[in-house]
Amino acid sequence: MNGILSFFSSHVSLEHINALLVLGVVLFGGTWAGRLFQTWKIPQVVGYITLGVLLGRTGLGWIDADTLKNLQPFSTFALGLIGFMIGGELKIQTIKKYGRQFTTILLFESLGAFVIVSILIGTAGWFFFKNAAFAISLGLLMGSISSATAPAATTDVLWENKTKGPLTTIVLGIVALDDAVALLLFAVSSSVAGILLGGGADHSLLPSLLNLIWEIGIAVVLGVGMGFIHYRSIRSFADENRILAFSIGAIVLLIGIANFLDVDVILAAMSMGFFTINFAPRRSKETFKFVERFTPPVYVLFFVMVGAKLNVRGLSAITLFMAGIYLIGRIAGKSVGAILGALVSKAPGSVRRYLPFCLLSQAGVAIGLSIIAGQAFVGTLGDTIVMIITATTFIVQLAGPPLVKIAALKAGEVGLNITEEDLIRRSRAKDIADKDIPSIPENMDIGSVVKIFAEHDNLYYPVVNDEGVLMGILPIETLKDTFLLSDLSPLLLAHDIMERAEFTCREETEATEITDIFRQRGVASIPVLDGEGRVTGMIEFRRMQQHFARQLAALREKATALEAN
Amino acid sequence: MEIHDVISADRCRVLHSRTKTEALLELIEIVGEENSVADLEALKKEIFYREQIMSTGIGQGIGIPHVRFPGMKEPIVLVGVSPKGLEDYESLDGEIVKLVFMILVDENHHKEYLRILSLIVQRLKDDGFRKGLFGAETDKAVFELLTGGEK
Repeated sequence: MNGILSFFSSHVSLEHINALLVLGVVLFGGTWAGRLFQTWKIPQVVGYITLGVLLGRTGLGWIDADTLKNLQPFSTFALGLIGFMIGGELKIQTIKKYGRQFTTILLFESLGAFVIVSILIGTAGWFFFKNAAFAISLGLLMGSISSATAPAATTDVLWENKTKGPLTTIVLGIVALDDAVALLLFAVSSSVAGILLGGGADHSLLPSLLNLIWEIGIAVVLGVGMGFIHYRSIRSFADENRILAFSIGAIVLLIGIANFLDVDVILAAMSMGFFTINFAPRRSKETFKFVERFTPPVYVLFFVMVGAKLNVRGLSAITLFMAGIYLIGRIAGKSVGAILGALVSKAPGSVRRYLPFCLLSQAGVAIGLSIIAGQAFVGTLGDTIVMIITATTFIVQLAGPPLVKIAALKAGEVGLNITEEDLIRRSRAKDIADKDIPSIPENMDIGSVVKIFAEHDNLYYPVVNDEGVLMGILPIETLKDTFLLSDLSPLLLAHDIMERAEFTCREETEATEITDIFRQRGVASIPVLDGEGRVTGMIEFRRMQQHFARQLAALREKATALEAN
Repeated sequence: MEIHDVISADRCRVLHSRTKTEALLELIEIVGEENSVADLEALKKEIFYREQIMSTGIGQGIGIPHVRFPGMKEPIVLVGVSPKGLEDYESLDGEIVKLVFMILVDENHHKEYLRILSLIVQRLKDDGFRKGLFGAETDKAVFELLTGGEK
């Protein structure tokens, strides 16, 4: 025993175990926490982040700074995937339809937050530090950071709830694009702050602006270029697995290049997604489906790490107070801006009423900018910014996702973005069976059987004995064969012409299992039986498809109706 | 398709039985001797289950027990003539049954099954043909009457 232990301690590298152990705990625990929160009707993202907070620097400290640094590539990867998926939502048609609303609301809500946070924090800063230059710099920097809205948590909630409609479209567009506005404002603000505080050489306005535009341009060119290469390559691929591997590969490569060149990863990936959905429409549906399937573990990891990264230990009273001011200013600015923007651009009522609730989230970009500020303005200014952003991110990331969910629910957009597969996944036999289909007694003569067929829409009927137990199925093709043989009518009973039921199911059988049988076995109908073998209904492939098609059409109609008011 | 396509001499009998059950068993025994059905007990069960649902005595002295049955290589038609008649056949018109056609077809040969049934019912509509069969005294006579009268 001792020998084994000493073998392990001397031969197995502890760091190596830890990296995998951390990954395992994070993925396993994160998924579990997400499910747990889901059962409490709280978006799963909050579960991931909460687990991160518990394991991370605020809580147990089990995921420390080194581990976070090691897992950093996964975060970048996740952001890239999110960017790609958001880009895929931006169809040119949609942009044409919502373009004016997009830009108007985007400008109003980001500038609204910028202006109000700048004024409030600037005033509070002057009150606490009695230094005008310091107060203005702090105000401007915090204001610019406040204008960013994190796309990850927001979009995850929307996707989790399968939302569709004007609110969803506008939220997706805005959370993806206001980071660019935030970067622009931050570049201006940090230059102004640099001039005001007289520190550092590289704070002149024009070069930093040009630099930013250059970076954005490079990101877009990279994304579109990779989108083009990816499209050209998968055109000839038929194998699904190869498309998946190649698509993920292309995205990772793009993220890597963007990271290497120090340009915005989200923007680059978004450009690729945008190119793919708009210029390579034929294969893009599959590509997005595959990439989406690949995202869950990466997202779990990403959000747990967002939680783990937050450190709210050692907050001073002043920072807490400032954080409160910042939070109020940001919410007020974004809300007022969003409402004004919606009014000015004549956006649908649901957007005006519920958009403010969807703009709270703040994470990667805000934290990133606060860290840049912390490095550029060493001392009280930088530290204050980092602490305020950390503390408020903590609150906003836990409170934001549930608000997004409530807003989408109130706007009536939840569950409208559903595919046939989703419907099948959540249905059981009892939901799709024809329950009032008449059973044909096996001793019924053909004349009476014909009457039943004439009076009902079904093409397949269960044949039962006098106890209601299934004996076989009577398909219309079989019945048709007897039409010319009227002499036989006293001789032929349902029993004589019925076919054997190859497959049967129970009311609780999952619809996925049933559709598999339909598709793989070429069966046209499956009877539903109770525990004693008695027929309780009948599922016909054709009628099941009609049933799902009708449901989808109703949902689509609902989504369209939302745009009208 | 004509009757002689589905009927063979050794599947035509003059029955000694006096009851429906015995008569049906006597006919099933023929396929038993031929070894042409794998599961004879299951076949018996099927035949009697069908009779229990509703009698196959369609009137005018005729009974046509028929089943579709898994694992049949080809359709089998067994003919039995009971000169004294089977009183307990429970035919639709209450008459005693003197002529029994047992039709066994594979469960998947639905169309063939209907065709054979139809063929036999059509042929038996001929009064003279039917009455002639009622009087057949040997197995050979049954077969010849069945196949000889065809145009």
